[in-house]
Amino acid sequence: MHIRWKHVAIALAILPFAAVFAVWTGLFNVGAASGHWKITDWFLHFAMQSSVRTYALPVEVPEPLPREGLAAAAGHFETGCAVCHSSPDVPRDAWARQMLPEPPALSDVLASDKWTDAELFRIVKHGVRFTGMPAWPTQDRDDEIWAMVAFLREMPDLDAKAYRDLAYGPSSANAVAPAVNDLETLVADCARCHGEDGMGRGDAVPVLAGQQRTYLEESLVAYAANRRESGVMTQAALDADADLFADLAAYYADLPRADMETRTAPGAELVERGRAIAMEGLPDDDIPSCDSCHARLDRNPAYPAIDGQKHHYLQTQLELFAEEKRGGTSLAETMHEFSRHLKPEDIEALAAYYSTLEPQ
Amino acid sequence: MSIGVASDARGRRERRPLKQLFLIAFAVLLSGCAGVQSALDPAGTEAEAVATLFWVMVAGGTLIWIAVMGGFYYATRIKREPHSERAAGRLILWGGAVFPVVVLTLLLAYGLSLMPKLRPWTAVAEEPALRIEVTGEQFWWRVTYHRAGEDPVVAANEIRLPVGERVVFTLKSADVVHSFWIPSLGGKMDMIPGRDNTLTLEATRTGIYRSPCAEFCGSSHALMVFSTVVMEPDAFDDWLAREARPSPGAKADGLDAFLRNGCQACHAITGTEANGVIGPDLSHVGSRDTLGAGILQNEIDSYVALIRRPDVIKPGIRMPGFHGLPDEEIETIARYLKGLE
Repeated sequence: MHIRWKHVAIALAILPFAAVFAVWTGLFNVGAASGHWKITDWFLHFAMQSSVRTYALPVEVPEPLPREGLAAAAGHFETGCAVCHSSPDVPRDAWARQMLPEPPALSDVLASDKWTDAELFRIVKHGVRFTGMPAWPTQDRDDEIWAMVAFLREMPDLDAKAYRDLAYGPSSANAVAPAVNDLETLVADCARCHGEDGMGRGDAVPVLAGQQRTYLEESLVAYAANRRESGVMTQAALDADADLFADLAAYYADLPRADMETRTAPGAELVERGRAIAMEGLPDDDIPSCDSCHARLDRNPAYPAIDGQKHHYLQTQLELFAEEKRGGTSLAETMHEFSRHLKPEDIEALAAYYSTLEPQ
Repeated sequence: MSIGVASDARGRRERRPLKQLFLIAFAVLLSGCAGVQSALDPAGTEAEAVATLFWVMVAGGTLIWIAVMGGFYYATRIKREPHSERAAGRLILWGGAVFPVVVLTLLLAYGLSLMPKLRPWTAVAEEPALRIEVTGEQFWWRVTYHRAGEDPVVAANEIRLPVGERVVFTLKSADVVHSFWIPSLGGKMDMIPGRDNTLTLEATRTGIYRSPCAEFCGSSHALMVFSTVVMEPDAFDDWLAREARPSPGAKADGLDAFLRNGCQACHAITGTEANGVIGPDLSHVGSRDTLGAGILQNEIDSYVALIRRPDVIKPGIRMPGFHGLPDEEIETIARYLKGLE
């Protein structure tokens, strides 16, 4: 019998139904145990590497990579990443090795030059489809993701102790994620990034000691509800028992303020400009005085204390507010309107000024 | 039942309802000529001049229309045979060239003769007895009264004038082009960023008049209005003196709530530490004719709505919403502000 065009057309018309039928029988094995065919494995990796390479092209890499959030990134790595990717301290969990594809042990991958900084940023921020690699919990916090990339670059040089010191803090080595949710365990867990004195480890982590109680509590609620964007803090707030937020906020509000570890004094001119904006505002640019809300002792308790807060933290928050990427307490959105009109140099000056103030 | 054409039981057409419809429509149109925002119901010298010019032009236009229609009727119905070339040439010369030149010259002369009244620059040379500086901002009006020899008095979204006194306005804009227009008192003038425009007006009749922004200025342009209150001179002087002093309610309960939430960052209240200059001055907001630049009744509920979600009431407004505050806190502030009389 000759094969005619008619037969080809009929075969093509039947093909999709045959394919659906084949899948419907369930004979195709989706189990992870048997692994991919070699060619499937090759093709998936080829697609993934090509995609990451292309989408990393427009990513602008900060030079040098920011180190202010190193401790927080290490802590978050320990919480969220190490189980699958191993750390200098512990190998991958047995179950993680049975994932398909098997998540790479990062110390080995990162020691080679397989990925550029931009590509790492792309993978950490967006995750990888079909692999189990999740996206960052929020797409609005590039600063956190760059901190993570900086940490990843650091990791191959860390031994187990140095890694633990970074991820848990020097005094609470070997603490584990809290199995019991009581205030004491919770405070110990928070101290990994925020320090036992509430002064924060690294300039990206804010001073909590002496902060307004209401502000702290509303911020925790906002993190847990993803109304204040942060991959690190959203995870931390979800791990904690929400019934303890009030006690936790009170704990940090009552902590006495310690001296800041290192404080490099910003230029006097910058501070002076910041002082002028803080006290008088920039009426021509529709920017009111910051002190009207933040300096009053009788202020609404949802307005945080910012005097003596860390320069880098203040600057990041103002930048996030200006881009309308910073939620928080029920009144946080009022800041969007004010910061939208701030120029980058105004933001720098304000952060510099408030970081030099003695707390009230 | 249709209003236009109705039939009675015998099928005879009854035309009267149609006539009534025209009468109603005409009355509705005419009602636009009177009221608080009409250039045809003048309450000021300048508006009277504008109205006179308008009526003169309407009368002249009507006469010319009748003449043209008459000529048309004559040419088509009365004298049907062709006109001689000479007669046609004469008609074009007199009716098409000489007549329009004469009429337009007369109108121009009359219009120019009104100019000193509408734009009396000469009167502005020396510092006038009362100068009011009005700045258009998205989407409200900043008003500052300068009485010769006295401290300036700052207010917002309402202008008060003494009847029978010539007042000089300095018109400014803080952001985009707005236009200042009190239809009942005079013509409009643009407010242009970086430029001070001068306008003078003299009110001849007391009353409250409505003044919308007359140049598209953004998403809430249509919600940018002020009231003009024309008062007897004595009453005006008393009012201005009161306006310069703190309100009796300035130190009332509720000031604390106003201050602790940071309202003073943008708003000023005379007699308190609130001295913000970004938003409208609230020293006597409780006694203003309207709230929110002419769009809300001046009552507690309006204050509550404005504090809670200003962007819903006025899209594009610069004030952030304070819906995060507890209801009782917002109501406390609202009651305090309403008490600022």
